[in-house]
Amino acid sequence: MNIDITDPYYAVKMKAIQALYGVTDPELNINIVDLGLVYDIHVNEEQKQVSVEMTLSTKSCPLGNIITNHARVAIEDELHGYDAEVELVWEPKWNYDNISAEGRTALGL
Amino acid sequence: MKPPDEHISRIATVVPYYILAAVSFVIFQALLIVSLPEIHLHYFQPKLLALTHLFVLGWGTMTIFGAANQLVPVIAETRLYSSVLPVLNWILLTIGIPLLIWSFWVFQLTWITYTGASLIIIAIILHAFNIYKSISAGKSNIITDILLMAHAWLFITGSIGLLLLINLISPLFPEEHLHYLKIHAPVGMAGWFLQLIIGVSARLVPMFILSRKENTKLLNVTFYTLNTGLALFLIEGMIFHSFHGRYVYLLLVITGLTAYAAYIQGCYKSALRKQKDAGMRQTFVAIGFILVALVLFFIVICMGAGVPPYITTMFGLAFFCGLVTIIIMGQTFKTLPFIIWMHITKPNSLPELMPKDLFNETWVNIQLWFYLPGLLLLLIGLACNLTITLHTGAILMLIAAIIYTVHVLYVTGKLKTKLL
Repeated sequence: MNIDITDPYYAVKMKAIQALYGVTDPELNINIVDLGLVYDIHVNEEQKQVSVEMTLSTKSCPLGNIITNHARVAIEDELHGYDAEVELVWEPKWNYDNISAEGRTALGL
Repeated sequence: MKPPDEHISRIATVVPYYILAAVSFVIFQALLIVSLPEIHLHYFQPKLLALTHLFVLGWGTMTIFGAANQLVPVIAETRLYSSVLPVLNWILLTIGIPLLIWSFWVFQLTWITYTGASLIIIAIILHAFNIYKSISAGKSNIITDILLMAHAWLFITGSIGLLLLINLISPLFPEEHLHYLKIHAPVGMAGWFLQLIIGVSARLVPMFILSRKENTKLLNVTFYTLNTGLALFLIEGMIFHSFHGRYVYLLLVITGLTAYAAYIQGCYKSALRKQKDAGMRQTFVAIGFILVALVLFFIVICMGAGVPPYITTMFGLAFFCGLVTIIIMGQTFKTLPFIIWMHITKPNSLPELMPKDLFNETWVNIQLWFYLPGLLLLLIGLACNLTITLHTGAILMLIAAIIYTVHVLYVTGKLKTKLL
């Protein structure tokens, strides 16, 4: 996921991304950013809210609720004063091409 | 503990099954050593009957019931229909299995035997009902069809088993007892165990190795050919009291297995993660035992009534100890640590430990280092009638079973420590 440096909320989004690098997929043991699960981040500065759009590798993933909770906690720990919300989306459908180069290395691919 | 997600089954529906199965596994391996002097005899004798049922019910089916309670909601994208029924079933099986096994061991068919068998049948019906209701409320696909059909065959196998028990004291069947035993065993092996392994692995293997492509049409071929072969075998055996079409039925089953092998090969070819961990390595070793079991089975049906009993026993060992046990031993540590982790991780803080930290991969390797040579020695000892080889093999397998059980208790013990 890329964030445009001209984005007015670039700094906040970068901090959120940094936080999400700390959230690990328990099965694959790599973080959810390198796994390509995080699609977008929105910032509402007035309401001090960060919204994350992310997906899961499969809809029936039993770990889904745990991963989204960890994503929310990670952002709120990093961005004091902000509330975080995580929305699960299913379009576009996640596929293995979403995995970053770092993720592929971590997976030994 | 309340599960944080609808796809996570309650801990009581899964973990007690794994624990009791592991204990049964150790008892089975210990009793196998005790029974070695009789292992060359015909399989229809008290100790081998007791051992076989301890294996298939106490070890194999117990583990599969626990795993199914966790995996079916994931596969069908639904929730488990009832969380009470698995607890009740576990109690029924925990009482029923020892009663049946003891009766076989001492070969005294009394009310204890029939109480045990009835409790087991009730548990099977209730479990199958729970799985059926769970899948009905979720998304149907070829894998859920395979799982449902496997449960149907389990019910058929159990029912024939109960009728056979009754037949021993009050004849029900027109043909001799052994004729129906030849139906009871293959139907349970291929219909229940093999089909369930196919269904679950068809979902888990591509997930674990990150396959890009899954040709589920091949699973359709497996589903229809395997079940047609078994259904024809059952009908001819039960209604016409013969096995004239046995080569055709075997061919249908082999076609189904070939399609399954092609499916797994396709998954592996398109996999991103070709390096296999200990659990996956053991799964592939186990799948290889299907071939060994098939060759031995082919010899058994070719030789017919003249087959030496030890070859039939070798076939049983290759199927149950080779395929079923090794796949369970490997997949336990691909699933159980996750199940435990899901229940102990706190949703409102980041975990310090991950599922991979809840078990020891080296132990998973070591259990196979003992088990596989042990099983091979047992098979060689049986084929060549070598007592020392038989004993050495059985002892190595017992050590592996103890390592496995201690490891399972170590993983499940994390529930108490609440490390996360």
